[in-house]
Amino acid sequence: MKYFPLIWSGIWRKPGRTVLILLQVTVAFALFGVLQGMKMGVDHAVAETRADLLFVGPPDFGGAPLPLAYLDRIRSLPGMKDVSFADGFLGTYQKPSQAVFALAIPQADMWLTAMPSLFQILPKDLEALGKTRDGALITPDIGKKYGWHVGDRIPLTSNTLKTDGSGTWTFQIVGTVTDHEPGEAGLIAINYAYLDEARAFNKGTVRNFYAIISDPQRAAQMSDTIDRMFANSSHETKTASFRENAQQQMRSIGDLNFLIRSIISAVLVALLFSITTMMMQTMRERTAEFAVLKTLGFNGRAIFLLVVTEGLVVCVLAALMGLALATGVFPYAAKFIPGLSMPLAVIGLGLIGAVVVALITASLPASRAARLHVVDALAGR
Amino acid sequence: MMSFAKQFWALLRMNLAGIPARLGLVCTIVVGVTCAVGVLVSMLALGVGARREAMGNASPNRAILTSVDAPSPMQSSIGKDTVPQILNLPGIRRNAQGKPIVVFQVTVFVQARSKIDRGQLGFPLIGMTPGLTDYEPELHMTAGRLFNPGLHELIASNKCVRQYEDFGVGARRHLRGGDWTVVGNFDLASTVCLVFGDGETILSAFGRNTYNQANLMLQSPAAFAQVANTLEANPTLHLKVQHEAEIFEQNMRQINGILNFVSYFVGTIMALAATIGAANSLYAIVDSRRRELATLRAVGFNGAPIIASIVAESILLAVPGALVGAFVAWLLFNGLLASPLGASFHMAVTPSLVLLGLCWALGIGAIAALLPAVRAARVPVTVALRAT
Repeated sequence: MKYFPLIWSGIWRKPGRTVLILLQVTVAFALFGVLQGMKMGVDHAVAETRADLLFVGPPDFGGAPLPLAYLDRIRSLPGMKDVSFADGFLGTYQKPSQAVFALAIPQADMWLTAMPSLFQILPKDLEALGKTRDGALITPDIGKKYGWHVGDRIPLTSNTLKTDGSGTWTFQIVGTVTDHEPGEAGLIAINYAYLDEARAFNKGTVRNFYAIISDPQRAAQMSDTIDRMFANSSHETKTASFRENAQQQMRSIGDLNFLIRSIISAVLVALLFSITTMMMQTMRERTAEFAVLKTLGFNGRAIFLLVVTEGLVVCVLAALMGLALATGVFPYAAKFIPGLSMPLAVIGLGLIGAVVVALITASLPASRAARLHVVDALAGR
Repeated sequence: MMSFAKQFWALLRMNLAGIPARLGLVCTIVVGVTCAVGVLVSMLALGVGARREAMGNASPNRAILTSVDAPSPMQSSIGKDTVPQILNLPGIRRNAQGKPIVVFQVTVFVQARSKIDRGQLGFPLIGMTPGLTDYEPELHMTAGRLFNPGLHELIASNKCVRQYEDFGVGARRHLRGGDWTVVGNFDLASTVCLVFGDGETILSAFGRNTYNQANLMLQSPAAFAQVANTLEANPTLHLKVQHEAEIFEQNMRQINGILNFVSYFVGTIMALAATIGAANSLYAIVDSRRRELATLRAVGFNGAPIIASIVAESILLAVPGALVGAFVAWLLFNGLLASPLGASFHMAVTPSLVLLGLCWALGIGAIAALLPAVRAARVPVTVALRAT
């Protein structure tokens, strides 16, 4: 510890150079933190999604809706904790480019607790929705976008026709809902009972069911049971847990590991090369200083440690700043990938990386400084 | 002016002659630029490759009809009652039998099992009414035969065969309404797996009653305006027409947007790091040459040519770095099969990407050299000459 002032003054011998090295290492580790953090953070977010929450929908995307009568048949299966459902339609507000998705839900407790990271309704809002047949809950985002407030009446135009043949749906805003699901269309929540009564076609059907099972381990088995129950009927189903769906979504992003590894390697190569040459240059300029230290009684080992510690302090300090910067990016990224956060493992990995970078880059100049011949160095040879 | 050029050349030759003596610092600049440009070019090669394969097949002779208010063909619906009116549109090319080349298309998404990890992924199953080969003469069968109307038969592109299980000729797939047989494989430019079947059969199997889009083969690219005018004159048809390329572009916009954002984000950070590293090396070079520079100033060299010569040196070092970086990117990634975001395509390192990399290198070299060059020009003659 008593050598710290010596190390500190060594680091700041050329402030301009040190600041640039610090910046370069910071930038490199910020990039590392973002890339590696995204990769591991996404894996983590997928592992955190609920395995006991099953999504029961039609087997093909945009396929014919399912009969509401399935609700009781799914609920009666052993091992089933709670079942609910949702429907909805896509409408536009004022202009064809302003899409709004109306999610139609029944009065069910599941909406309060099932998917807090995706979609959340407070008990008072659900109650308010239940009291107003043509009520709607809006997300704060969409409220801000179109200037909607509680109490307003909003008209939506849709291809989903009402019994009177018109495609204009008017809702009264009664509360708010939080929605974290990424999507271009804004979202409002409406009463399923109202939608089903007012629409002209597809009465008595739903888009999909949500089923909570008591044992998450049996998710795959329960999914099969549900699909088998409706196999060869006019409305077959496709069931999967939220976790399986998230895994599938991640798979569709594809295997970019090779690319990420290549980028991180390129960053490391550039960094190692740059820092090593800079430290060698610094050593050359400080030859006389080290010779003086040796004259004062510092042995080779002490000088080696001195130089390596300088490198360590710079690299670890800069890596910490870089990783902090990267962590600051994650709240923004979480808007697109719900549940995403910077994994601590990446910070640890980054710090280990910083130590390795410091050891590699500092050892060559340090061993040179340690092997100095005092007489030659002082003579400037 | 004459003396500026003369001084500049003399200084630049002196700078370049000194490179062997400062190999380490010089290499730092080259390696930094190599890595930054290499990463930028490889990342952009994703977007370029995706675009090239998506647009490869687009023809100005093909036009696509969808309903007026549909943001994309997936949300569009064309009822069977409008079919005769669409067949009567002007400017449509006729086939050997004298029938207009119009193919109605319905797209449904169904699940397939990935070959790589056996996970489920969605693929588009496209139902086409008769005339597919007239409309897509580029479709090249590599195995088997075309599907027959009215039967549960499919043909799958070779991309599907590579990506998913059970798409080879003879494979049976269980879809809505029973077993379907894959009777042929084909090649057609696209970034995604394509599976075609008979339009009517798919409509009835999936319980649909409207098509998504109508595909027209025009007599000439100029006939597009004719179709557009006719549709405009008949608003009751509720249809709009778009060039095939426009639809492809629309489909590409999202994936291209994401790929380009990520590429430029990572590329900018790498360039920043390279610039900082190069600036640091140039500072060190200038510092080590203080006496030399002061001497030059003392014998009458001006500041401007000194600045210019150092900036030029930096750029000359960055250019080979960029070329090496682009070459490594080409070596590692050109033609590599990438499958991000559900698409599948070959990455492409093109001359224009190499040029872009060179421009970035010029920028890195020039920006990095600016401050060190100014310091070099400002070396105080007396102080520097006295320095040891």
